[in-house]
Amino acid sequence: MRYLNKDIKTIHELLKNKTIKPIDLVNEAIERIENSTQNAYITLNKEEARKKAIELEGKEVDNILFGLPIAVKDNIITKDLLTTCGSHMLDNFIPIYDATIVEKIKDKNMIIIGKTNMDEFAMGSSSRTSYFGAPRNPWNEEKISGGSSGGSASTIANRDVLFALGSDTGGSIRQPASYTGIVGMKPTYGRISRYGLVAFASSLDQIGPMTKNVYENALLLNAIVGEDEKDLTSARKPEEDFTRYIGKEINGMKIAVPNYLMSDIVSSEIKDSIKETIEMLKKEGAIVEYVDVKYLENAVTLYQIIAMGEASSNLARFDGIRFGHSCENPKDVEELYYETRREGFGDEVKRRIMVGSYLLSGENAKDYYNKALSIRDDMKKEFENTFKNYDLIIGPTTTTTAYNITDPMDDPLKSFMDDVLVIPVNMAGLPGLNIPVGFDKNHMPIGMQIIGNAFEEAKIYQLASFIENKLNLELNPNGGEE
Amino acid sequence: MNDKLSREEVLHVAELAKIKVTEEEIEKFQVELKKILNDVEKINDVKGYDDDILIAPWSRKTTLREDKEEEMLQPKVVIETAPRHSGNYIEVPVVISEGVSA
Repeated sequence: MRYLNKDIKTIHELLKNKTIKPIDLVNEAIERIENSTQNAYITLNKEEARKKAIELEGKEVDNILFGLPIAVKDNIITKDLLTTCGSHMLDNFIPIYDATIVEKIKDKNMIIIGKTNMDEFAMGSSSRTSYFGAPRNPWNEEKISGGSSGGSASTIANRDVLFALGSDTGGSIRQPASYTGIVGMKPTYGRISRYGLVAFASSLDQIGPMTKNVYENALLLNAIVGEDEKDLTSARKPEEDFTRYIGKEINGMKIAVPNYLMSDIVSSEIKDSIKETIEMLKKEGAIVEYVDVKYLENAVTLYQIIAMGEASSNLARFDGIRFGHSCENPKDVEELYYETRREGFGDEVKRRIMVGSYLLSGENAKDYYNKALSIRDDMKKEFENTFKNYDLIIGPTTTTTAYNITDPMDDPLKSFMDDVLVIPVNMAGLPGLNIPVGFDKNHMPIGMQIIGNAFEEAKIYQLASFIENKLNLELNPNGGEE
Repeated sequence: MNDKLSREEVLHVAELAKIKVTEEEIEKFQVELKKILNDVEKINDVKGYDDDILIAPWSRKTTLREDKEEEMLQPKVVIETAPRHSGNYIEVPVVISEGVSA
């Protein structure tokens, strides 16, 4: 019997009236994942997940997430469970504590089913920089599932589990969500504790939920937000229910479409699909207007400087001394550093660390990094001004749909350009979500990005659920057979 | 703009990043790193912004933690995560060799 393709309310009811037990869900997920060719997981938490499911049989089903399997991106550390970040550098790393977010999902009695595949240290846009090979797109296995949270996107699209966690530094939740036809939310910077998320670019990184629909996404967000004394950038905010506006009308809602997001860098198929959705929203009473938002076109440049600069500093910790990979028989400590890092890191990571180190060294810090921080500030102000007149901002999530896994990887700029539309949200620390709005001529999913003002995730979910409802797309790639 | 970094420039950035590069890699990085660095130059074309900077979108004031006892990680557990360790110590190769004066 198949349950994990059903919606949360149905499954919760079945668990509550004891028609099914958590172990049934765990077994179903494991069987699907083991028989799949998606390569969505680096580590399957088989025995522990089964053990936990059996333990839960004696407990009361006390919350809506109880007993449900969840996939965790492999850059979120899990006690006693291999955490590799998709890298040879950490392919033997067993953490000794849990990330705060992992404690939170365990408190809800969710069951970690495994650690999902990703670009090495989240650096990439196709998950092809993973030391463990690229995950595949369930809509077409020849295609990428995006990145860096490609494994989480793939397993959700394939309906292996209801819930997955991703992380988003420059689009790494929203872009793969768009390529695989799922819902992915990057919450406001500070919403979720980053304690235990292996740092890539600390001022941009944020963990977020990836699910097959909007309601389930908001439910998972409910469970994982909150201030954490172990993360000084986590925000103290009153508790709220992110599902509260779901199902509400959008009559009178004011929505901005930045001209840059609909410029010629976007494929015409995607633009047409977004325009159709815009027409639908207008018909339903929303006010949608095209606006200019300055500096959006500079986002990739800012990202290159800020993300690579921060990465070079964050990844200095991989020294072969305290944890992770270490080279054999170094003659002195210098050789230990140099050789460990040569062996442990892949090319994309090496490039980014080298460029980052260079951009922060000596006078360069002033010429590049400080300039980037100034423009970043102005970009944030541009968003703030837009939100004075509009409730939300929308546009396409990606410039193309998912491309082939075998496409060349010889252009070091390609991974940045794949994220050109999603990076501004990280720069300004805003919440952004991908919602599927259609398909291209090869039936690969097209996604729309909804951007909200800081800490206004609930409003994003309102519009997203409205679109989801109206379009009513068949978003299960295995559609007919299930 | 040049389409290649010099050998020395690649060796310099590799040193900053503490990553050993092989001969083959040097040639590859000469082209790849230059391509990224040329792209980064676009920052100089941006006009009209003010001097205010944004380091992080959100941070709160530093506050002191409540002074209370809590369970910490045991040293043994932490030490055992290190690739080379002995007793309560993490082992590292020679840092300063004999005969080298400070």
